[in-house]
Amino acid sequence: MTDKAEGTLLYLDGVNKAFDGFKAINNLSLVLAPGEMRAIIGPNGAGKTTMMDIITGKTKPDTGDVLFEGSTDLTRLDEAKIANLGIGRKFQKPTVFESHTVEDNIVLALKAKRGAFATLFHQTTRAEAARVDELLATTRLTDKRKMLAARLSHGQKQWLEIGMLLAQEPRLLLVDEPAAGMTDAETAETAILLREIAKTQSVVVVEHDMTFVRDLGVKVTVLHEGTVLAEGSLDAVSSNPKVVEVYLGR
Amino acid sequence: MRALTVLVTALWLMLSAALAPTAAAATAIADPDLSRLVNQLAEGGFDEVEAAIGALVATGDDRVSSILDKLGSGDLFVRKADRVVVLTEAAGRELKLTDPVTGADLGMVPKAAVEKIRVNNRLRRTVAAAIGTLTLRSDDPAVRRSAAEAVMKSKDASAIPALDAAIAAEPDEGVKGVMIAARATAVMASDLPEADKLAAVETIGDLGTRDALAMLTSYTGLEGPVGEAARKAATSIESGLLLWDAAQNISYGISLGSVLLLAAIGLAITFGVMGVINMAHGEMVMIGAYTTFVVQEIIRTSAPGLFDYSLLIALPLAFLVSGGIGVLIERSVIRWLYGRPLETLLATWGVSLILQQAVRTIFGAQNREVGNPSWMSGSFMVGELSITWSRLWIIVFSLVVFAGLMLVLKRTTFGLQTRAVTQNRSMASAMGIRTPWVDAFTFGLGSGIAGIAGVALSQIGNVSPNLGQGYIIDSFMVVVFGGVGNLWGTLVGAMTLGIANKLMEPYAGAVLGKILLLVFIILFIQKRPRGLFALKGRAIEA
Amino acid sequence: MITGFLLNGFDTRARIVVAILIAIALLVPAANLMLPPDHPLHVPTYLVTLMGKYFAYALLALAVDLVWGYCGILSLGHSAFFALGGYAMGMYLMRQIGTRGVYADPILPDFMVFLNWKELPWFWYGFDMFWFAALMVVLVPGAIAFVFGWFAFRSRVTGVYLSIITQALTYALLLAFFRNDMGFGGNNGLTDFKDILGYNVQADTTRATLFALTVLFLALFFFIASAITRSKLGKVLVGVRDAESRTRFLGYRVENYKLFVWTLSAMMAGVAGALYVPQVGIINPSEFAPANSIEAVIWVAVGGRGTLVGPIVGAITVNFGKTWFTGVLPEFWLFALGALFIVVTLFLPKGIVGTVQAFWANRRRPAAPASLAPEPAE
Repeated sequence: MTDKAEGTLLYLDGVNKAFDGFKAINNLSLVLAPGEMRAIIGPNGAGKTTMMDIITGKTKPDTGDVLFEGSTDLTRLDEAKIANLGIGRKFQKPTVFESHTVEDNIVLALKAKRGAFATLFHQTTRAEAARVDELLATTRLTDKRKMLAARLSHGQKQWLEIGMLLAQEPRLLLVDEPAAGMTDAETAETAILLREIAKTQSVVVVEHDMTFVRDLGVKVTVLHEGTVLAEGSLDAVSSNPKVVEVYLGR
Repeated sequence: MRALTVLVTALWLMLSAALAPTAAAATAIADPDLSRLVNQLAEGGFDEVEAAIGALVATGDDRVSSILDKLGSGDLFVRKADRVVVLTEAAGRELKLTDPVTGADLGMVPKAAVEKIRVNNRLRRTVAAAIGTLTLRSDDPAVRRSAAEAVMKSKDASAIPALDAAIAAEPDEGVKGVMIAARATAVMASDLPEADKLAAVETIGDLGTRDALAMLTSYTGLEGPVGEAARKAATSIESGLLLWDAAQNISYGISLGSVLLLAAIGLAITFGVMGVINMAHGEMVMIGAYTTFVVQEIIRTSAPGLFDYSLLIALPLAFLVSGGIGVLIERSVIRWLYGRPLETLLATWGVSLILQQAVRTIFGAQNREVGNPSWMSGSFMVGELSITWSRLWIIVFSLVVFAGLMLVLKRTTFGLQTRAVTQNRSMASAMGIRTPWVDAFTFGLGSGIAGIAGVALSQIGNVSPNLGQGYIIDSFMVVVFGGVGNLWGTLVGAMTLGIANKLMEPYAGAVLGKILLLVFIILFIQKRPRGLFALKGRAIEA
Repeated sequence: MITGFLLNGFDTRARIVVAILIAIALLVPAANLMLPPDHPLHVPTYLVTLMGKYFAYALLALAVDLVWGYCGILSLGHSAFFALGGYAMGMYLMRQIGTRGVYADPILPDFMVFLNWKELPWFWYGFDMFWFAALMVVLVPGAIAFVFGWFAFRSRVTGVYLSIITQALTYALLLAFFRNDMGFGGNNGLTDFKDILGYNVQADTTRATLFALTVLFLALFFFIASAITRSKLGKVLVGVRDAESRTRFLGYRVENYKLFVWTLSAMMAGVAGALYVPQVGIINPSEFAPANSIEAVIWVAVGGRGTLVGPIVGAITVNFGKTWFTGVLPEFWLFALGALFIVVTLFLPKGIVGTVQAFWANRRRPAAPASLAPEPAE
């Protein structure tokens, strides 16, 4: 199994997961090369979120291989270990620490030792402070750094969460519907931001918004009923009759 | 046609069987001979009387036992003039005499014309044993059985020959068994040879009952083969009784389980279905129990004849009172706290303190006793199992309540709406379901069931303002153990915990058993945080 | 490293609170011991002891707040740790009685002689030494909390489930300590204490000293709690409270953080219990009652969870109310307490201190509506 996985960043093969008999993921296979950016689309219930859950260790698959960097078996690890391997995740609903300031949100996400005693005696270094400034600038939140995260707008929370993801310095980012609830201008800016990120890191974006996916301009995987329906450029998949059937219902 | 023949034959057989003993109950000895023997009772000293009793018994005549009975109770007299034994009956200043054998009227005499046949304690014993022996031959199997049991108690060796005869003639297998056991006990008490006693030990050992064990224990201390055999038989009975003991403990466990089920099932609705932690649940049980108390007080003072129906009257009232208070709590406190389970917990704890103190203020802090109606008192035996009626009724009642609740939730519109609101509140609301009312009534239903649980619990313990506190933690354990949101889980959880508790008690003691069980549940929740019958799926993992 | 950590905790608010507590620790005993009884500012000894009890409760409340207010773990079992600390101290005090007991046995406490025990059980060894007992005051609650938390947090038992099993834990201990054969005095518990470190526990000076120690320990733990909540670890804890899975996906091992603060909190509760016992003169199994744990929670809720001053204010206010009510209208106390639970959860979710803080924040920043301020999640 490792032969085929060699040289890949993320390798899913024959993954199955059922909830009370309902097959959320059905013989799913997906390969992501290092440095690649991939968009995943699919109707509701296609298994996108469950796939994310499986990769990040929230859900254990019933069968199948999930490998990171060709050799690390992700099904044996828990969320914290997987996060520390370098897989970051943004939730569908923006999830930030609402009673912390924007700055503290970033500080908590910064790549650093995660042990309880390490954080107990932790003092912010100059390098860390500089990195926080940089990330706040990237996510256009510099002037809101002392504000409680709860007071941010929906779009700003999405950006803060992406900023937290970047602070982790992951090798793979899983981004679940980053454009949901954003204005058109924000959506376009988000696409630019993600493309920027994709220059240095691998990114998997799950999205409904076709304009947004088109803006990203990357390879697209169509998921349907827990399995891969089609793969290729957006134009190629959108002319695929099977995909048209699924999306338009015949 | 053939069936009819069989039926007729069967009927005929039964009839003849019923008639046969009556036909056989003819006098075993001619009247004059019997009279002669009866007259012997008035001759000589106590030894002679005893011999006369023996002679009478030997006739096996049916009339003997009533005559001896009179002798034993001191109602047998002798006519001074001719030493004829007579029965007397006061008639004014004189006595009316009757012949004890034939029942013929012997005329009136002054009191001084007769004298009482004196008996001492030894004779009374002899008479009792003799009657026992005689009734062994009675027509009524129940009388024969109690006669055999009387011998078993008196351990009278002199009854052995009579028993032998009775055993040989006994048609009823059950009675015969008792007689054989009685004979064995008599043998053990007699000075018969060792071989007989060994056989007797074996016979007693084969009975396998607690009584048999008690009989044997008086001989296990003996030296020699008899003692040894007794010890062996006792051990074998004990190991046999272990099974009965286990069965008894399981029956206690089921009974405790049904109590837990009653207490927990309302909680399973409010916690499991609605997700509301109701710490005042125990107080709903307590209020149900006090409703029973009030109903009984009113019946006692105004309509004592209705006492046996007091629980039936209390049931709907308790449901309404507790349910009504539940609806009130939901409308005034809980509805503001949906989605904040920990705060609901604190607020309902506050409610529970207020309810406890209110009851304490109204009824006083001391225990109140609720009476058991006649149909719930007493107990009966099944084999070696002792089962009290009150426990049995509570088991039945808890299952009825469980089934009723299942029906309400699965088969009625209200149940459908409740399930709809549970699964998707906003969708249900969009479908035109008035969710606030469904919430209020669901909470009221859970509380009302707690109230009727209170009626049942008032039957097995005292009623005090703290009654509910004793059940709240146990009830939570049952619901959590069984799996939240699943009534079957609550049933299985309650029974498992009840039985496990009672099975552990003999080994670990009541308190330690309970602690072990709590530790077990704590560990269990760690392993399966959602209980035995957990709902699965992505939705609840979120 | 550690100095940095400690300096973190010593912000202005912490300085003010610690200064006030130290002042109370010095002034109240002085007013008791040095002023003549007819002086208007004289504090009678019974009042010193009563206040000492309140401050021990305040320390318990602080411990509850640390796990509930800052990490979202609603413990309904903290009275267990409080009582365990109390028993450890009580065992030391029992061993100090020596031959002055009713049966005058130099080794065995009275209740053991009464139960016909011939030897001291092994778990009573060492309690004749104060340092050992003092160690046990923190180690026993800490160890039990550690084992319990290790299982519970690892299997991700959260929310009401955790609350209910903490309640089961204290209930199980309650039943256990009621048993005579456990060797802790059964129903009656431990009482009739004579000396602590050679000083008569009844003496005014001892009582004043115990009071001062209680307040100083509260100041110390307030300072530690302040340092912890202001450290990065404290921020992770609040993160766990508000968005546990986000914290996990950032790579923090949530169970270890919970275990740390849970164990520390249990130790604090143990110290509170140890300070409480010599002042009230008895420890018995009723201290384990689940109702006590829930009362401690309401002190925190009244004062304001998620603030460190809140639990102290809450514990003292509610207990003062309890003393007043039980003196004036005894049968109404439970009505008042019950109403307090309801009113605080419905109308004062931030508690006294939280509400005052929000009010001041609004005064300073009128533009930002208070309703947007985050409420501590559960």
